[in-house]
Amino acid sequence: MNGVLRTVNRVLLGLAGLVLLCVGGGVLAAAAGLSVPSWWPWYGKNDVLLSEADRDRWRGEGWWWPTVIAVLAVLVVLALWWLLAQFRRSRLSEVLVDSGDGEGALLRGRALEGVLAGEAGALDGVARAQVTLTGKRSTPAARVRLLMEPHAAPDEALGRLSDEALAHARDSAGLARLPAEVRLKAVKHRAARVS
Amino acid sequence: MTEPHGPDDGTRRPPDAGPVENGGGVLALDQSASSAAYDPTPDKERPEGHAGRFWSARRIPAGITAAVVLGASGLLLYDVAAVRAGHPAMQWRRTLADELATRRLDDVWVLTGASVAAALGLWLLLLALTPGLRDLLPMRREHTDVRAALDRTAAAMVLRDRAVEVSGVQSVRVRMGRGKVGVRAVSHFRELDDVRADLDTVLSTGIRELGLARQPSLSVHVRRPAKKG
Repeated sequence: MNGVLRTVNRVLLGLAGLVLLCVGGGVLAAAAGLSVPSWWPWYGKNDVLLSEADRDRWRGEGWWWPTVIAVLAVLVVLALWWLLAQFRRSRLSEVLVDSGDGEGALLRGRALEGVLAGEAGALDGVARAQVTLTGKRSTPAARVRLLMEPHAAPDEALGRLSDEALAHARDSAGLARLPAEVRLKAVKHRAARVS
Repeated sequence: MTEPHGPDDGTRRPPDAGPVENGGGVLALDQSASSAAYDPTPDKERPEGHAGRFWSARRIPAGITAAVVLGASGLLLYDVAAVRAGHPAMQWRRTLADELATRRLDDVWVLTGASVAAALGLWLLLLALTPGLRDLLPMRREHTDVRAALDRTAAAMVLRDRAVEVSGVQSVRVRMGRGKVGVRAVSHFRELDDVRADLDTVLSTGIRELGLARQPSLSVHVRRPAKKG
């Protein structure tokens, strides 16, 4: 889910950047007096950005204003959706547990998150853990934030997390796999001086 | 940075002459600084998955862009609809149309606007194409299903904790770059070269234990504390 938003954001940002770059660059090129091809919207230093004739070109046509309004309305709706999508956190509310006898059970996502965070937080070298489940309910994925204690070795902490907490959660929910994205931070502390 | 280097390819730098040595009239033998840069030995090939960068979702720039587009198109839509319904156009739209039709391309405002638009466009393109999250160092993938990254501050803190345990080290500053670790230590006793050699050993182990996908290179500087007075 998050991956979709990331792709959409990056494509739209790139598109917006490209449009701005083309318009700005086009104006600059024309203003600098470079020889521009004939289809270029601006020609020479004495041109204006949008002349009255250009603006009124289709004003008389019957389709012009409805089209303008429709395009603007679509733009408003899309921009509103895009903006609201930034505030939405995709969080999994339930996980489908396959009990093996053809019937499934639903496990509350919060419960699994809580168990996972509790077990991860109790690991050696881990001060605190936060877990969020994302993805689909049959193929969940976990996002883990670990806060390491002072003097913990990151690779050991990660190894324990993968081998114990994540493996237990995966097995107990009967999932084939539980992909996880882990970010490790450390508790802020002062250097312990040796005397 | 990932190229393996031989032991004698000139990465060993001479001890740099600190301000202490110049000002204090110290004996020539009394070293004030010791430093060396090492490149890591090449990683063993890992059979399991390639550890890529974490890509940011770019929520904040996307949100700002969306808000700007929403505001501009919403305002224009409102005004166009109002004019269609027989109301007069808002003042800003008449002014804008007027300005667009009269200002020539070599007008300073037009040029400024075009430059800003082009620069902003370049910036947005850069945001769209680069991964971001430069503070997260990807870690080795031991399990296919687990992708992990270590925060740069945390990595620096782990290495600092290792470094202060070396005897003779009074204080230490660790700068964790994306491909390079810079360690500056102040040592108040023991030979500087010994301290540095110890730091090299300890920190190399420390870097290995960070479990990073790409081992950063290490450069260690050790010097005496500045004399008071």
